[in-house]
Amino acid sequence: MPHPTAIDSLLGQIERRTSIETNRGLTQIALSYPKLYRYPFIYMAGSREFEKFSANDIKRLRNYLSYGGFLLIDDNSSGINSKFDISVRKMIEALFPQVPLRKISRDHSIFRSFYLINRVSGRKQVSPYLEGINIKGRTVLVYSANDLGGAWARDKLGQWTHDIVGGGNRQRQLAIRLGVNIVMYVLTLDYKKDMVHLPIILERLKRNKLP
Amino acid sequence: MKTVIALFGLDSSMFNEAGLNFALTELLHVWILLLFVTTLALWFFWTSLKRIHSPFRKALLISLRTFTFFLFILIFLQPELEFRKSHTLKNRIAILVDDTMSMSIKTFPSEQPRIDFVRQAFEKNQGVLESLSNIFQLDYYLISDQIETVSSFGSARRYSSNKRNTDFEAVFSKLKTLYGSKSLQGVMLFSDGADLAINSDNISSGLNTLLAGWEVPIHSFQAGTNHMFKDLAIEEVDAADFGFIHQPVRLTVTIGASNMGNRNIPLVLKDGDAILLSHVLEIRERESRYSVELEFTPNLLGNHIYSLTVPLFAGESVEKNNRKDFQIKIIRDRIRILHLNGRPSWDSRFLREVLANHPKIDLLSFFILRTLDDDVVSPTSELSLIPFPTNLLFNDYLNSFDLVLFQNFSYKPFIDKGYLTNIKNFVENGGAFAMIGGELSFQEGGYAQTDIEEILPVDLGVEPQLFLDESFDLQLEKNQFRHPILQLEKESVANSIVWENMSELNGINMGLKPRKDADTLAWFIKGRDKYPVLVTGRVGKGRSLIVATDSLWNWNFRQVGEGGSGRYYNRFWNNIINWLIDEPGTRLLKLETHKERYEEGEEVLLRISVSHPNYNPYAEAKVLLTMKTRSGEMKITNLKTNENGEASHRFTPMEEGFYIIKAETETDKLKLKEKIEFSVFSETAEFQKPRVNETLLKRIAEVSGGNYEVLTKQTDFSKVSFKNPEIKIKTSSKLIPLWNNWWAYGLILSSLSLDWFIRRKSGLS
Repeated sequence: MPHPTAIDSLLGQIERRTSIETNRGLTQIALSYPKLYRYPFIYMAGSREFEKFSANDIKRLRNYLSYGGFLLIDDNSSGINSKFDISVRKMIEALFPQVPLRKISRDHSIFRSFYLINRVSGRKQVSPYLEGINIKGRTVLVYSANDLGGAWARDKLGQWTHDIVGGGNRQRQLAIRLGVNIVMYVLTLDYKKDMVHLPIILERLKRNKLP
Repeated sequence: MKTVIALFGLDSSMFNEAGLNFALTELLHVWILLLFVTTLALWFFWTSLKRIHSPFRKALLISLRTFTFFLFILIFLQPELEFRKSHTLKNRIAILVDDTMSMSIKTFPSEQPRIDFVRQAFEKNQGVLESLSNIFQLDYYLISDQIETVSSFGSARRYSSNKRNTDFEAVFSKLKTLYGSKSLQGVMLFSDGADLAINSDNISSGLNTLLAGWEVPIHSFQAGTNHMFKDLAIEEVDAADFGFIHQPVRLTVTIGASNMGNRNIPLVLKDGDAILLSHVLEIRERESRYSVELEFTPNLLGNHIYSLTVPLFAGESVEKNNRKDFQIKIIRDRIRILHLNGRPSWDSRFLREVLANHPKIDLLSFFILRTLDDDVVSPTSELSLIPFPTNLLFNDYLNSFDLVLFQNFSYKPFIDKGYLTNIKNFVENGGAFAMIGGELSFQEGGYAQTDIEEILPVDLGVEPQLFLDESFDLQLEKNQFRHPILQLEKESVANSIVWENMSELNGINMGLKPRKDADTLAWFIKGRDKYPVLVTGRVGKGRSLIVATDSLWNWNFRQVGEGGSGRYYNRFWNNIINWLIDEPGTRLLKLETHKERYEEGEEVLLRISVSHPNYNPYAEAKVLLTMKTRSGEMKITNLKTNENGEASHRFTPMEEGFYIIKAETETDKLKLKEKIEFSVFSETAEFQKPRVNETLLKRIAEVSGGNYEVLTKQTDFSKVSFKNPEIKIKTSSKLIPLWNNWWAYGLILSSLSLDWFIRRKSGLS
């Protein structure tokens, strides 16, 4: 994993900014791990081409996602159409052949689950959007090509391990906010689309020029 | 005639008529053919005799040929002589007398019931009817929405007004079918015209069409008048058979007023003894019918008998129509749940998914996404967070929810302590409350010694207790295995297997002590210590429940990972919700009737079942049944349940009206009460529209070509005239053909031979 401290750093931000209680230890698992279902959120990151998943692994992952799990895929490479990107798309095609990977629209709960977000970012601005897979009204997989982990990662002294390409600290903050929102979405689903929230959210979106 | 009959060798006493019949004469093309052939024949006769100069011979030949031609035509038309025996039939008159309840209404100032006008008229005109019966066949009928044949109205005295519905269209339709091709020359209708099937005073289009096409004059005699008729009536209450709890139910009420003057009257709607609403209606002299829209919001589930009343004023002709009872079943359209989450978690996420996807649940969720200690590193305008509307939720709209769910929720920073009292009152008055565990629940949520603790089925103690993060297998309380919350499969063995295979849980709120009157359904057992995990309790009219862990989601996602199914997690929560909101199937004392409404005189069957608080059948339970009616409250009987905890009782209500049956019993020191409402209806529809409908009677007469008259002491039936065409019926006949015999053929042959002879003598071939 190119940014092994990224998730721990994001969890720290979640702990600091929200009411969510986190378990800061990062567990690296294989899909064949018998206790896979004790971890409803999987973060998959890389920068290189990876081997095709076995048919069994694909089936396990499909079931895992269909029954309530979530997969965040983060392309840590710095290029468009990277080898990791090609591998990911092949993997997703095998995973859900009937459900194509689609752009996540700006009114998706991911962009309003905690912060109101109008711009998708990461360490780099490779893609202006997130992509995802929806199963029965729930987004079960999100794919970011912008190296979110690169923007989140810190060293042991708490310093950012990677510089932001393009947008400086503001861009990093947006990447952290997006990470927070993705986790918040996974835990609250479309809660922010309940009618009770809509008037205030729409008013804020109308009034403020959001980043 | 006798000679002619004898000529043919027949018995003259067998026949009284003779006639000549021809075949084929009814066909138009036969006549056209005959006309053509005759013209052609005459032309031929004339032209063929040009060479004969003797006018005598010429005339003789033409006569002969015409005669022969006539004989041919006669044979072609096949004449038959018919000797008949026939007699004359009487035409019919149908006499219809309305015997519905409205005919008992009095007419003023004589205060004579309408029925008496009919009786008097029949008695006075007995002679006229007798003479009429010499000419016509008089058929007598009693009519309502049916027709009933009676022998005559010589027995008018025993004719009484007791039928429940007037429907002229049904009556005339049946009459038309009954007479079919019979010669009905008229109908005499004796009625007040109070047809319930007709909404306005005028004739309905269906009745109009029926009578206009029938061609039988109907002479209508109006019994009674509306002169000085004073009445205030609830004519109609238009309401749906069912309504939804906490949702407005709308009624459209039609009030009829006759000679009530100008006054304001109260219209009162009651549910049993409780007044639901009162509406003031302005009655004005010039108007006789009023439509009133009423609306009320029911707050209790079940069958309800509502009564609508208007005051009874002195001198009113009909008393029964000042009150109308009607029944509406109040059901739950949606289960309204307020779900407060102290923090987003997997447990809250999976529970929200169950609740939000449930088709019958209206879910209002609030997640506390940030606490006051959290640093969001952003201005509020860039956050999607909204203020927590505590006053709206816990003051204004609390009673509109069925269930309030606190999931790992600490109230202190968000809810004023006073609102906890509101929640307590909400539960005591029939609401439901559940607290789901986690590090922010129970003692750690600050609920000890608050009003919330009073409604929880567990004591929290005063010392803060830790949330123990330890995995454990849930142990069901064996004694509670029949509890509806634990029924994940219908069959007991299958249910046991499901529970044995449930995933382990992790994390438990310690230090909870079940109250004495609570039921602990499941435990975490550690060595010799037992910690309650799932506890239920009853608080006033409401129910409460606790789940002392935040890991029930293991029974969904993790269960799937272990080769099981997440459906039991859904079923478990459905069971919890059903129990909390007091669904009828989860009650310890069940009381039901086999029907929702009864006719007067019909037997009522009550079924009772009693369970212990652990839902095992309560055998030998003593159940007291009492009944409340308009006449007051009385004991029906004491019952004892059988080994299945069941009992039944049959009785026949003495009077019409609403009935509230209450069952009371005691099970394990728990006093149980249940009540059921049903109504016993006596048909009083005839009094809903009690006015004499003279417009309708006039129109019936007009449309059918008959006369209209108001019955008085002077009414004379002889003024009514009926057509009396002669109807003859043939009982026997004898046909004698005149064309297929030697006489006819001999005449033709002779005539042709004579023609030939004269032509030869005249030099023609």
